[in-house]
Amino acid sequence: MTVGKARSRSMSVRVRQACATFPFLPALVILAVLFILNGMFNANSVSFQGISGLFSTYLGLVFLAVGQTYVIYAGDIDLSAGAILSLVNVVIITLMNRYDGGVLSTLMIMSIGVFVGAACGLFNGLIIAGLRLQAIVASFASSIFFTGVALYVLPVAGMPAPMIYWQTYFGSIFGIPFVFFVLGVLLLLVFLLSRTQAILHLLTVGDDQQAAYQSGLPVTRIRIRGYVVCGVFASFAAFCLTGDTASGDPLVGSAMTLSSVAAAVLGGSMLSGGFGTALGSVFGALTIGLIGSLVYFVGTPASWQNLVQGLAILVALMVGILISRRT
Amino acid sequence: MTSIRITALLASVAFASGLTAASAADYKIGLSNGWVGSEWRTQMISEAEDMAEAWSEHGIEVDVVVQSANVDVPGQVAHVRNFINEGVDAIIINPNSPTAFDPVFAQAKARGILVIATDAEVSSQDAMYVGIDHKAYAAGTARWLAETLGGKGSIVAINGVAGHPANEMRVEGYREVFAEYPDLKVVNEVNANWEQAQGQQAMQNILATYPDINGVWVQDGMAAGAWRAIMDANKAEDIAATGEIRKDFLDIWVENGFTSAASVNPPGVMASALNVAVNLLEGKELKEPASAGKYGNAMYLPIPFIDGDNVAEVHAELEGKPGYYSYTSSLSIDETAELFK
Repeated sequence: MTVGKARSRSMSVRVRQACATFPFLPALVILAVLFILNGMFNANSVSFQGISGLFSTYLGLVFLAVGQTYVIYAGDIDLSAGAILSLVNVVIITLMNRYDGGVLSTLMIMSIGVFVGAACGLFNGLIIAGLRLQAIVASFASSIFFTGVALYVLPVAGMPAPMIYWQTYFGSIFGIPFVFFVLGVLLLLVFLLSRTQAILHLLTVGDDQQAAYQSGLPVTRIRIRGYVVCGVFASFAAFCLTGDTASGDPLVGSAMTLSSVAAAVLGGSMLSGGFGTALGSVFGALTIGLIGSLVYFVGTPASWQNLVQGLAILVALMVGILISRRT
Repeated sequence: MTSIRITALLASVAFASGLTAASAADYKIGLSNGWVGSEWRTQMISEAEDMAEAWSEHGIEVDVVVQSANVDVPGQVAHVRNFINEGVDAIIINPNSPTAFDPVFAQAKARGILVIATDAEVSSQDAMYVGIDHKAYAAGTARWLAETLGGKGSIVAINGVAGHPANEMRVEGYREVFAEYPDLKVVNEVNANWEQAQGQQAMQNILATYPDINGVWVQDGMAAGAWRAIMDANKAEDIAATGEIRKDFLDIWVENGFTSAASVNPPGVMASALNVAVNLLEGKELKEPASAGKYGNAMYLPIPFIDGDNVAEVHAELEGKPGYYSYTSSLSIDETAELFK
């Protein structure tokens, strides 16, 4: 009995230590459980085709959540991330329709998209970190502004993406769907970024802004950089969404903003800043997707689906906390 | 201990999945709704569910599965992918975007799944649209307003969400009609995002800026709010304005004798789409192929119209219904059969 207790205690200590070293562990466990449950209720949803469908649907949200995470690292928030996504979406679609659908011009247009995303991020950074406006309200205001610009660029949804673009997104290379490569590149990017000083600085600022300032870190510049990185990731998200939807829609991203925040938190990041992982946000975004599907696959009646989905996300949040803070 | 609990969980899960797998329907149809912000959408789904049940009297078992939640566009794309994974025969969707579903609809079609959009048109050539023409919807009430005002005076328009395809089509619809009346001036157009509170506030601002306004063209979902502002300003007798199809609005319309009219976008559109779907699944062909609309894939349904002449009748028809209930209509199973060869 006592041996068992001691063992379970040492076990819980080990779990806690593991979670401290790898804060994304709880999110990974939840994701794995959801994955298994989805497979039980609908075998096709975890087939090779089902999984590539999941990725092609949610890669946009995954990128957006990762970008959001870097802002959250510093204790900030970006409520305009979805609007930046919409803006980049309509900008690249409009440009792609103006020029031929060649590979070179498409790549050129995508780099313009990255530039637009970075510029939006810079704008956010300047008004929030530079002018010291409250992040939550200032980025909300800029989201309305960016949506306005997107509506100016493309007043109503409807322009198609060139064939070459979305056929690549849905295509395969050596029998492996393109979206798997995108995910691979993202994971590599997340890994490389996690080792850079810029990301470390964001966490330092988020942990204790005063202390960071007093130790001589350029806090304002670091926070601005966080928003720029988020803007760039929002443009990557737009590339994925444009691939999956093959069209331009000036309002497409607005509802994704809060999902990106939720994904970051589900992934173990703290909104107060200073703690989290971008990898966790990848898992968090996929978790949100799988919860939506599971709620349907278990046969929830239509009028309860919103309620059950909300509860399921809350449960996922609580389970994550229980796993990481078990004593 | 834990392992026992897990086994129990797995067993119950397996049991539940066994339950859902058993069904002996002729057709399984997936209904997807991406926004649950109004009772209109709830009514749309329940009417479609009732219609599916009604098919059993005609010897065809139709099983509907529903996904309805507030989702972003990827979330609704996931709805469609879930239906594909489940192997439904047809998908009927009230889409959150006109264009974003092109690739996923193509994937559905490749698996032999019939896709029908309702309430909002989609650009995909792999799907068809069964619903009302939002342009004609707006033109109907615009014509009524212009005629009621004798073709002259100043009017304002209160619209929904800028950039939303249905909104843009409606704007196009009333602008074309008002352009035919040179003495009719549209002095302002505002967006109130299909929210009653914003509609009311917009109307207050309009009345403060243009106290001599003669008419208001306002979309449903905001008209009740606009009328509240008109009543607060004691102008209900001087202003003609479009209205709503909800029971609670029809109540005050009749009670106060408003000068009002409403084009009906009936929540029954999804039920009509379901009837078309079942006929197509039965292998029947439409007499007139669905080729209307700007995407060339639409089949437009009739738009009922309510004005001073028939409002009492419509109101009486809705007697006993709850306030949120919308006046509705849909193609009956027999009427739908008439449309097919």
